[in-house]
Amino acid sequence: MPRGEAAAPIKRAVLSLNGGPTDDLVIDFGCKLARSDQTELMAVYVVEVDWRHDLEADLESQREEASRVLDLAEGMAEKEKVPLGAQLLQARDVGAALIDEAVSLAADAIVMGLPYRMRFGGDFAMGNTIPYVLKSAPCSVFVIREAVAASEAREATMRRE
Amino acid sequence: MTEGKDDREATPHPREDPRPGPLQGQKPGDRRVRVDRPRSEYFRYTPSGALEARPKAHQAVDTRGRAIASGRRLLFGRPLATAEEIGERLSKKQALAIFSSDAISSSAYATEEILRALLVAGVGIAALSLALPIAISIALLLAVVAISYRQVVVAYPSGGGSYSVSKANLGRVASLVAAAALLIDYVLTVAVSISSASEQVIAALPQLEPYQVFLAVSVVAVIALANLRGVREAGNLFSIPTYLFVGSALLMIGLGAWQIVGEGQGRGYPPLADSSADLAGLAILLLALRAFASGAVALTGTEAIATGVPSFRPPEARNAATTLAVMAVLLAVLFIGITFLATGFGVVPNEESTVLSSVAGYVFGLDSLGFYLFLTFAALILMLAANTSFAAFPRLAAVLAEDSYFPRRFAYRGDRLAFSAGIVVLALLASALIIIFGGDTHALIPLYAVGVFIDFTISQTGMIRHWLRTRPDRWRRRLAVNSVGAVVTGLVAIDVAIVKAPASLFVIVLIPILVGVMWFIRHEYDTAREELDLDRTLTFGAPARHNRVIIPVPGLSRAVIQSVQFGRSLSDDVRAVHITIDQEGAVGLQADWEHMLPGVPLVIIETPYRSLVAPFLHYLDVMAPTSEGTITIVVLPEYVPRHWWDRFLHGQKSQRIKQALVGRPDTVVADVPYGGERIYRGTTPKP
Repeated sequence: MPRGEAAAPIKRAVLSLNGGPTDDLVIDFGCKLARSDQTELMAVYVVEVDWRHDLEADLESQREEASRVLDLAEGMAEKEKVPLGAQLLQARDVGAALIDEAVSLAADAIVMGLPYRMRFGGDFAMGNTIPYVLKSAPCSVFVIREAVAASEAREATMRRE
Repeated sequence: MTEGKDDREATPHPREDPRPGPLQGQKPGDRRVRVDRPRSEYFRYTPSGALEARPKAHQAVDTRGRAIASGRRLLFGRPLATAEEIGERLSKKQALAIFSSDAISSSAYATEEILRALLVAGVGIAALSLALPIAISIALLLAVVAISYRQVVVAYPSGGGSYSVSKANLGRVASLVAAAALLIDYVLTVAVSISSASEQVIAALPQLEPYQVFLAVSVVAVIALANLRGVREAGNLFSIPTYLFVGSALLMIGLGAWQIVGEGQGRGYPPLADSSADLAGLAILLLALRAFASGAVALTGTEAIATGVPSFRPPEARNAATTLAVMAVLLAVLFIGITFLATGFGVVPNEESTVLSSVAGYVFGLDSLGFYLFLTFAALILMLAANTSFAAFPRLAAVLAEDSYFPRRFAYRGDRLAFSAGIVVLALLASALIIIFGGDTHALIPLYAVGVFIDFTISQTGMIRHWLRTRPDRWRRRLAVNSVGAVVTGLVAIDVAIVKAPASLFVIVLIPILVGVMWFIRHEYDTAREELDLDRTLTFGAPARHNRVIIPVPGLSRAVIQSVQFGRSLSDDVRAVHITIDQEGAVGLQADWEHMLPGVPLVIIETPYRSLVAPFLHYLDVMAPTSEGTITIVVLPEYVPRHWWDRFLHGQKSQRIKQALVGRPDTVVADVPYGGERIYRGTTPKP
């Protein structure tokens, strides 16, 4: 962006949720966008369906978990007095489904969370979905990486448990 | 996406999409399915993993229920969620108006009570000069009581006031006496203040006299309705008259004091020394005590804030303590100020006008706008004194219900987070008193104020025990304050009871009766709790029991078939019982039964004396007695009436059998309603 040019407001954003530790960050970021730019928010959870199942199969436990995540997102947004739509999808590939949904919604941005984690050997692990969305999405993509301290604290808690 | 504006307008929102099946993505292999979440409108997961019922899940499912809900919404406003309770809390300004209207309104008549008590003594108007020192003494007592209740508020922030203090420090009996005394006084406050206000209205508009009781009861209903809409809404509605009265009274005191002191317009009374030759010192003391007891009504309502601490915004205790202090200062200033003006202008109580109106006449000028405005505000504050009781009574009843001394219903909050049961019961009791006493304030007054002083005494005594037990910093000073308070309020309680006898004795008798009732309620709850209590360390496996299903049938019908099929799903041991007076019809029924329901025995019982329920019960006892390991399930086919009048057209045998079976050991009753599709008129989606 040229220096001095104001960024165009984001009118509609897709918040990608997966039940992970960064969902709260994603929703929080979305709420900030909504307050500053009046951005319309759509929380999207994609249940990945493997090839053993039909794409429309009733995957009850996964749908229930997805519903729980979307419910919590709605609850958080309600607390912040920010309107939030929620959409549950089933697809073969999360990244592609997110992009397609963002396109069909004419969203200006996709917001995703990225936990801070290392593979064995110390390489930073980003998974497949985020690189795919970064590479393929026609709109802006915000990736929010959680703070290192938060990741360490979480891992310490898990070890204690 | 930059050129997406037109796309966006053309793109349907996903919620509006029809669901034709998988949606095609940008690439050939990318397909996705949008999954509906129909239950999300009704239930939502909370962070703890529990499901939370959303507003739609609270909606009635039938037309009648929806109509009732609409009516309630119209009357009381939209239902509030529990999470909105914090928004319903009162600011200090609102709380001062709600909880202080009773105390502050008493400044409108307490001076008159003192002057009338002094005048009755027959010493002449010279005795009226005692009014100001007596008012100052009462203000000092008010200070002691207010300091004590500030301590109560901080030490017992969960509310309940004297009840909580005495429960913690004096035991069950004292706490119930305190609660009973307060409850009685709250009811009387409503009855007295509304009757008094309606009398003021009648004085202004005598043509309304035949409707005085109706008017008073209507005002009670309006105040109750406002409180059912929520304590905050009632605060918003009723705070304006309170502040108008306080503001205009302070203005009157300021102007009047200037006229008496600055301009020398005061007349005063002849000195008591001139006429006291005939009056012994002891007689003056008795006279002063009598006037003190009469003027002490000014203290009623002082305890209300301590009862309602949880109604305040956080920090609840600090805000309540501040409000209590402001209330006490305001009441003292108004009370002493009005008494100073009354004695300064030499006002003598008479039957034509009140002391307050006489004082206002001196200050603002008779028939001036200020005069009428002030008296209007005074009438309004007298009316709203009842509102303090509507804030405090339900709260105290809720605390008692939580402790199982009142029915649990009193602890439940209604649609607007108000303690609806307490509000309704208070309104009913106060209305009953107004009707019984014909709205006559003078008939009600002798019952009034006894309970409050009993309550003050118990509360102060409780605080003495509290300080002796906890001994925090400066406990000796606090102990001294409460000791003085306990002695003085105890003396005033005796004084008030004697002066107002025999009517006051009615209250004194009523208190132990109410205590007995509360004790009984607690006993019943304790008994039920003991019966239902279980050892949480136990683990229960699946029962090894035999189910026997018995179905009383009136004949063969769709409802009966449905019930028999339901019974067959529960057990293999199913039998139907047909009790009849028609022997021939029974034979035909038996034939049809065997054809339609083979394998299900039909027992036919002829009933020459035409009773139906008793033979069925005896059949159960004699032919199918309860035994170890056997559960008898009585399945009742029940026709669901289509219209309200159907209830009169169809028999109520099922209901009678159900009632008769309540408490029968090892017996379960199952209703099987039959109403075709009509019973699914609700809006909840079928699973």
